[in-house]
Amino acid sequence: MIAVELRKLLLSRRTWVTILLIDALPTLVGVLLAVTDLGPRPGTGPAFLSAVLTDGTLFPLAALAIVLPLFLPIAVAVTAGEAIAGEAQQGTLRYLLVRPVGRTRLLVAKLVGVMVFVVLTVLVVAATAYVVGVVLLGSEDVTTGATSVSGSSLSTQELAGRTMLALAYAMLCMLGVAAIALFLSTVVTTPLAAALGTLGVLVTSTVLLTLDAADVLQPYLPTRYWLSFVDLFRDPILWRDVERGVLLQIVYVVVFLGAAWANFATKDITD
Amino acid sequence: MTRTRRWAVVAVGVLLVVGVPVAIRAIPPSDSDVGAGELLAAVAGSEDHPWSGYVETEGALDLPVEDDFSDVGSLFGESTRMRAWWRGDDDWRVDRLLVAGETDLVHHSGLTIEWSYEGDRARLSRDPDIRLPRTADLVPPVLAERLLRDVDAGDVVRIEARRVAGVDAPGLRLEPTAPQASVDHVDLWADPESGIPLRIEVFAAGEPSPSFTTEFRDFSAATPATAATDFPAAPGIEVDHDDVLDIADAANQYAPLRPPDRVGGLAKSSTSDGAVGVYGVGLTQLIAIPMRDREADPLREQLGQTPGVRHLAAGTAVSAGPLGVLLTGEDGDGGWLLAGTVTETTLVEAAGDLARGTTYLQDDS
Repeated sequence: MIAVELRKLLLSRRTWVTILLIDALPTLVGVLLAVTDLGPRPGTGPAFLSAVLTDGTLFPLAALAIVLPLFLPIAVAVTAGEAIAGEAQQGTLRYLLVRPVGRTRLLVAKLVGVMVFVVLTVLVVAATAYVVGVVLLGSEDVTTGATSVSGSSLSTQELAGRTMLALAYAMLCMLGVAAIALFLSTVVTTPLAAALGTLGVLVTSTVLLTLDAADVLQPYLPTRYWLSFVDLFRDPILWRDVERGVLLQIVYVVVFLGAAWANFATKDITD
Repeated sequence: MTRTRRWAVVAVGVLLVVGVPVAIRAIPPSDSDVGAGELLAAVAGSEDHPWSGYVETEGALDLPVEDDFSDVGSLFGESTRMRAWWRGDDDWRVDRLLVAGETDLVHHSGLTIEWSYEGDRARLSRDPDIRLPRTADLVPPVLAERLLRDVDAGDVVRIEARRVAGVDAPGLRLEPTAPQASVDHVDLWADPESGIPLRIEVFAAGEPSPSFTTEFRDFSAATPATAATDFPAAPGIEVDHDDVLDIADAANQYAPLRPPDRVGGLAKSSTSDGAVGVYGVGLTQLIAIPMRDREADPLREQLGQTPGVRHLAAGTAVSAGPLGVLLTGEDGDGGWLLAGTVTETTLVEAAGDLARGTTYLQDDS
């Protein structure tokens, strides 16, 4: 079942067009930076974007900061929202369930498919950004390393290790989005409704984060710690928000997957 | 498993995830029977105690100041996240954490390096007695040291303990007695072991919520490692030397005048030996900065657009919580910028005293 889902995902033209579109924005930003040599003013623009002008190896992180707030969650919401509701809309869900396939197994297979999409997208964005960064913006001196956010030196190994951690963290954040979308996909009958519902949750979270009156809710909002991967590049690493972010995303994943399972396992399938 | 049971499992899971942290937080902090005087003495005795931690401040003071005043406006009007390592008054590091970078202050031997990641620059400056407030002034132990100066046991009362950074911290309330004060009271909670202040709230008169709050979210009273307060600049970072730290330091060094020894009924501080006057002590303090017309005019325009601005005979006045600001003079004249935790009447009196009592130095050039 999982193999079928993965084959469907990897052979789908839409998967690769989506990844290409997500990848296009940071690539365009990289090219523009290289051509104009104009970075954002201090305190403005995505994280690490000013720093990439002197060290292109940081561009995967800047690319992550560019796609993480909007592009990536939209793609994940659309892909995960289609998991069950898409089958229902096409009228294939009931035929799928006629086969000797448990509903929980189907849900797990769909989740694995979405996870693979997230991992693939993040890796493609990071790899493209690395190539664009090194080729167009130049790499740091291997003898001196990169500069941490705190102004100290990071060796190439340290930078690579922390970048991997940041990518893994971003994947986990997107898994939280996927869990919400997957749950909604079991509730509604159209993938559009599931994707819009998920985006509604994310937009609400983002708006509440700007509101002082919502202070008490903020630690529990799904987007609260998304950009905390920057803390991995401070010296020493500030684990506080990263730990909270990991814990929060795990809770979202467990709760919404649990809800998806509770709703879907014996749901009447009419489509 | 039936549908109802599955949903019951999910509901129990959600209840556990949400309920357990809420229940833990709901356990009231245990209070101690330490008296107000004893706690005040413990806080005063903790001034040389090392510490480290993660601090958050929340300011509701919407100050109408522009770029000349560095980040004073955001420090008092927004929330600020910091982490700090304090080995002693002359060996510390305070990082202001930003979403996409950080601005660090690293202090050793009377010199401070300011590192800005987003600005990609490091500036070394001496530590002048007169300067604008900065992040390191707002961490609870440093702010408490300033606020509690000249306070004795008779000025404080005990308030209920509060859990701060996981510590059940006994509390103190301080109400200023000076008639010039605009601060209604200050509440402070301290670590019962070390006496280090963990949370401070500053209230203006008639305000139910604090105008300014600073508190540890993570705290340790252990001595930080030597390396924690270092600034091991990465190769390629050039450290620039600044002779002048900010607009207050510049005015203090170069303005050819000396303010009087007493304004608005407040005595000048012993650290104030240049053109800038710092008056009063503890909760009732006032700073008077002489400004040239090119600095005063844009500030006057900005103050004039601030809601609640008052155009007095003495100048343009605004207030934000307990903080009063008065800029004397008119466009093209320069003027005195007076700011502090004092009443408007005191600011007006101080402006009059400055106009009458300022001594102008002979220009040697």
